[in-house]
Amino acid sequence: MDAKRNDAKGPEPREGKAAQMEGPDLESVIERAQGHDAEALGEIYRLYARRIFGLCRYMLDSRESAEDATSEVFLKLQRSIKTYDGSIPFLRWLLKVAGNQCIDVLRHRKRGQQVIVEAEEGVAAIEAASSDPSPLSAVLSKEERAQVRDAIARLPENYRVPLVLRYYSELSYDEIAQQLGLQRNYVAALIFRAKQELRRKLGHRSQ
Amino acid sequence: MECYSEQIISIFVDGELEAEEAQRLRDHLATCRRCRQLLDALRAENRALSESLQELPEEAASPAGFSRLRSLPWSDVAVVAAVLALGSIVTGWIDKLSIPDALQWLNPFSLNGRTNLIFNVSYYLAHGGTAMLDDYAAVVGKILLLLLLGGSAMLLGRRWRLHQAGLRLLIVLLALSLPGFALQRRHSDFVTVAANETVDDTLLASGNTVRVEGVVNGDLLAFGGTVEVRGTVKGDLVSFAKRIVVSGTVEGNIFNLSNSLDLDGQLAHNLYGLMQSLRVNDRGRVGGGVVVGAGDVGLEGEVNRSVTVYAGNADVSGSIGRELTMAGDSLTLTNTARIGGNLSARVRELKNVRIADGATIAGTRDIQLRVRKNHLTHPGFYFFQAVWLASAMLVGWLVLVLFPGFFQASTHAVGSGWRSFGLGVAVLAGVPVAIVVAAITLVGLPLSLMLLALYLVAIGLAKIWVGAFLGRMLLKPAGATKSDWLLGLLLGLLILTIVGFIPYLGGLVRFGVVCLGLGAFAWQLYQVSRPAITT
Repeated sequence: MDAKRNDAKGPEPREGKAAQMEGPDLESVIERAQGHDAEALGEIYRLYARRIFGLCRYMLDSRESAEDATSEVFLKLQRSIKTYDGSIPFLRWLLKVAGNQCIDVLRHRKRGQQVIVEAEEGVAAIEAASSDPSPLSAVLSKEERAQVRDAIARLPENYRVPLVLRYYSELSYDEIAQQLGLQRNYVAALIFRAKQELRRKLGHRSQ
Repeated sequence: MECYSEQIISIFVDGELEAEEAQRLRDHLATCRRCRQLLDALRAENRALSESLQELPEEAASPAGFSRLRSLPWSDVAVVAAVLALGSIVTGWIDKLSIPDALQWLNPFSLNGRTNLIFNVSYYLAHGGTAMLDDYAAVVGKILLLLLLGGSAMLLGRRWRLHQAGLRLLIVLLALSLPGFALQRRHSDFVTVAANETVDDTLLASGNTVRVEGVVNGDLLAFGGTVEVRGTVKGDLVSFAKRIVVSGTVEGNIFNLSNSLDLDGQLAHNLYGLMQSLRVNDRGRVGGGVVVGAGDVGLEGEVNRSVTVYAGNADVSGSIGRELTMAGDSLTLTNTARIGGNLSARVRELKNVRIADGATIAGTRDIQLRVRKNHLTHPGFYFFQAVWLASAMLVGWLVLVLFPGFFQASTHAVGSGWRSFGLGVAVLAGVPVAIVVAAITLVGLPLSLMLLALYLVAIGLAKIWVGAFLGRMLLKPAGATKSDWLLGLLLGLLILTIVGFIPYLGGLVRFGVVCLGLGAFAWQLYQVSRPAITT
């Protein structure tokens, strides 16, 4: 499935602003961390904790749960970092791990059920109406960006989770589908619907 | 050529369109201005979304946002240290008190009766076995108490974020300094303050018999089988004993929980208590008032102010300076009885009120039957139900706004049915035991009061979780916004309130609701007190 997608602004994984370390430096830190070097693990924490907390905060509903999930990610990292093989950028890998952690938390709350359950009618069930307000404009003031974040936080879980995984973690549809155990098409529809819902929520602002 | 749908273009913008279709779309874009405009707008939207998200929420921007992560071990270490310090003190106290035989009747860990029964049957463990099991019971008791203390401290620590170093330090210091406050402790089988002796501090005395013949300048806190005050206590007398006799003087108040209290001497202020039998003998004098709940009350002496009793039987032959208010089964006023104010009594049957002709009552007599009225015909009833409902909604709303995750998770937890119910029954029955245990160690008294408050609050909240769960089940809102939750809560509470008034069934339902809600709440508290566990 991954084979050929169009390359129009595809996910371009980037090391966030927090990561001032690149290339060989980061590689050596990761290698040391894989060898249980506490200092290296601390360094990774320093570089990425904020970024990971951000993801958890968007995925989960309270700061408290987000903090718990973040610490869980870094606690588990001591063991799980060995499974990192360098095939994808480290931050991207870490965001996937953190995304999984958050999904586990959400699933745990639903007593083991899937976080998002695919409707029987599949994609058709969430096919959206097209009369929504026009897309958000590119240039947003600081205040408007805060409004967007607020609106995202108020989205229902089944829209919020894929949206955040796509535009915060910058995962591909396939990766999101895999994490959530959904069909790729369904993920695409959810993301599209999420954006429309977001526009609707912000609608009164743009008019 | 027909234009592409917004969704297809959106997927294309995300870079997720199949290569072939993407190529066809590109060809179309070259000729269609409308689609190009849409494409640009969608791209801009993606950028806006990414930018908005990458700029982290305020709380993540401040380093304090996850300072706890780094200091996590330290805050836990501090909490554990505080718990251990507290625990060592408490166990030390238990050792000191070592729960005298006389107190075994109120020791919830006592297995005396049961062990005796067992060991009378199994002969080869005969005598030594009993002692062994007693020891065992004491150890189990201590461990339970430590666990309880530790658990609640951990919980509070996690919940209230004790990451300020100062606060942590304070807790540790408090824990360490507790045994140091101005207090004299005496413990032995027979504790006495001799006639020529004066104790300047507050005296904590525990023993089979506690006898004060001298003077205690502070308060007297007495625990034991028999507590006798023959001398003088200048402060309050706080006692918890099987039998209490005050034939001397207490210059403060008496707070009392006992099987019996005999007052032969002088009490300067008030008497508050709960006891099986209260006797103010003809030499006894109370300078203030009396507020007690008791099985039998006999007032032969003098009470300067008013008397309020909830009693099975109350006999008055002495004098009461002001009102006598009584609720209970029977009231007898003899010829020598004098009441300086009004008499009001609530009894089940009028014939149980006997007032001798010679009795003097200065004020009015108001004797009424306690009739169980049908509350449904009472207008005030509806008013109070409405007030109750409104306040429950308000509390529910507050919890929902302040701790939305907790509210929703607690509500979900109700759905686990038997687990919540079982846990609720255990908490409902277990916490009072813990409160009593904490209270008898005295140092644990503040803890027990806190626990009691938490217990009552939790019982109060129980109906909210169950109501919200019920409402959610019935409404099944898809998106579940806050207002959906509140609407569900209102519906659930209304149903529960109405069902609660069905005779017999209503009582069962109310009990079930409390257990379910309490269990869900306890479960959720337990959940938030530990890091999330992944599958």
